[in-house]
Amino acid sequence: MTVTDRPWTFYIEDVTKTYDDGATFANDHITFQIRPGEVYGLLGPNGAGKSTLVKQVIGLLKPTSGAITLGPYDLVADPNVARQLCSYLPQAQVPIDSFKVHEALTVSGRIRGGEKEAVRARAEAMIEALAIEEWRDTLGAKLSGGVRRLVGFAMATVWPGLLVILDEPTNDVDPLRRRCLWQEIRRLGAEGAAVLLVTHNVLEAEQSVDRLALIDEGRLIAEGTPSSLKAADRGRLRLQLMLVPGAETPELPALVHDHSRVGNHLVTVIDEGDAADGITWAQQAMASGVAEEYALGATTLEDAYIRLTGQSKEL
Amino acid sequence: MTSVAAAAGVPTKRSGVGHWLDTYRAMLRWEVTGMRLLLPLTVVVQVLIGAGMIVGIAVLFHGIPSRNALFLSTGAAVVTLITVGIVVGPQLVAQQKQMGTYDFVWSLPVPRSAAASAWITLNVLIALPGMVVALLVALVRFDIDLDVSLSVVPAVALTVFCGTLVGYAMAHAIPKPEVTDGIAQVALFTVIGFSPINFPPENMPGWLASLHRYLPFESMANVVRAGLTEGIVHDLARSYAVLAIWSVGCMALTAWALRRH
Repeated sequence: MTVTDRPWTFYIEDVTKTYDDGATFANDHITFQIRPGEVYGLLGPNGAGKSTLVKQVIGLLKPTSGAITLGPYDLVADPNVARQLCSYLPQAQVPIDSFKVHEALTVSGRIRGGEKEAVRARAEAMIEALAIEEWRDTLGAKLSGGVRRLVGFAMATVWPGLLVILDEPTNDVDPLRRRCLWQEIRRLGAEGAAVLLVTHNVLEAEQSVDRLALIDEGRLIAEGTPSSLKAADRGRLRLQLMLVPGAETPELPALVHDHSRVGNHLVTVIDEGDAADGITWAQQAMASGVAEEYALGATTLEDAYIRLTGQSKEL
Repeated sequence: MTSVAAAAGVPTKRSGVGHWLDTYRAMLRWEVTGMRLLLPLTVVVQVLIGAGMIVGIAVLFHGIPSRNALFLSTGAAVVTLITVGIVVGPQLVAQQKQMGTYDFVWSLPVPRSAAASAWITLNVLIALPGMVVALLVALVRFDIDLDVSLSVVPAVALTVFCGTLVGYAMAHAIPKPEVTDGIAQVALFTVIGFSPINFPPENMPGWLASLHRYLPFESMANVVRAGLTEGIVHDLARSYAVLAIWSVGCMALTAWALRRH
């Protein structure tokens, strides 16, 4: 099965998944669609219901209600066709301890229905594109976590389905190869696949996805392009303080709209008109020994994410 | 379905015998390569289990009557066939669940039956050396008279098939891998020590012998023993029927567990 550029669309319509006899909603009436060639981000905090949703797409879980379709196929009614149409990279590492890298790719390609020679050629091309040539003949057991992640990605996409589902594909991957990985993800889209990218790395998603959905507590709380989700933050700036290690979060002035702290990074959102006052506050924090430096810049998708999920503590 | 799919620009669903065979071959390669590091050790363990049972019991009890020796010898061979399916299989699935790789393996685009068949084939490859070595050791140690017939081939295949499906059902139907591991250990203990495999059912308490008429282990021993000996197995049709029922039941339970999951 090869990627096609002819018309079809992947739909998730009103999908609900409950546990405990309906008492707990893992997914609550979720609806969105992905078109061929589109890289679609599924963002949300840990436990938001992202992986549960993905497992329903590939037939590992059955929705309590709702429909999942791709072209003419009902993926809920026919999990076999769901597995044929979707390529899936789970969040956990792939089981390749006994496989050499090139073997893992060629066997995966054959399992996914590719012809022997075509799969072999594509596997070699992917090894080169992901800059992992030096591990081509290395057993999976001897690979670092990042290289293993790249091999997992290549296994899922060496002979891709129409819908490629990637759950945190960049975990553990070094910055250089991360760039190669994003190029490969964009290439999948360019060749006509629909890519569903599950992540909580908001900054990477902003640069890489065409559209995205934000899920929190099982509900879809926002959907659109990165720019449209940031629209409410127009006229605002991001003021970031690098705190001294171990320092407590300084008292926030009234001009701060939202804030979050991850490690020693304190990120705040202020109005453009308050920039001067914000800088003064940041400089005072430095002068009092609470902060080491500060940076003022445009708001990012992360700020929209914080605003929409109401998360003010940690991402 | 074909015309509708083509109209929508989506590839048609792959199916049919050719597709099944292609995916079976690919999954067999996946399983064999995946076990490459463990395969030699697993085969050696199976060989040691089979040969060890015969040598060990011969050391403990001198002057074993020939009929008992025949039971023990063929029983040890059967034990090696059963243990792969009901112990190694569940442990590997439990490991997949613990390492988080279960979802990846079960999201592969292959028919479940092709994936299961590839796994059963691998089990046969792992179990056969243990069976053969156990019989060879028995020939040397007890000087038994084997009467091998062609019926041993389907008997071995059905025994591994049924044992693997019992393990498969157990591994998939029980959500917690730790529980699966524990039950697999109990099953191993039951097979070796409390099943009429290495000895006739008359040697057991009546209630346990009756229970074993409905469990698969005695029937597994019966069908394999019938292919290796002459005149000591009766009611063979019932044994085949019991194994068929267990196989179908375990297939249904596995399918239900995978669907429910």
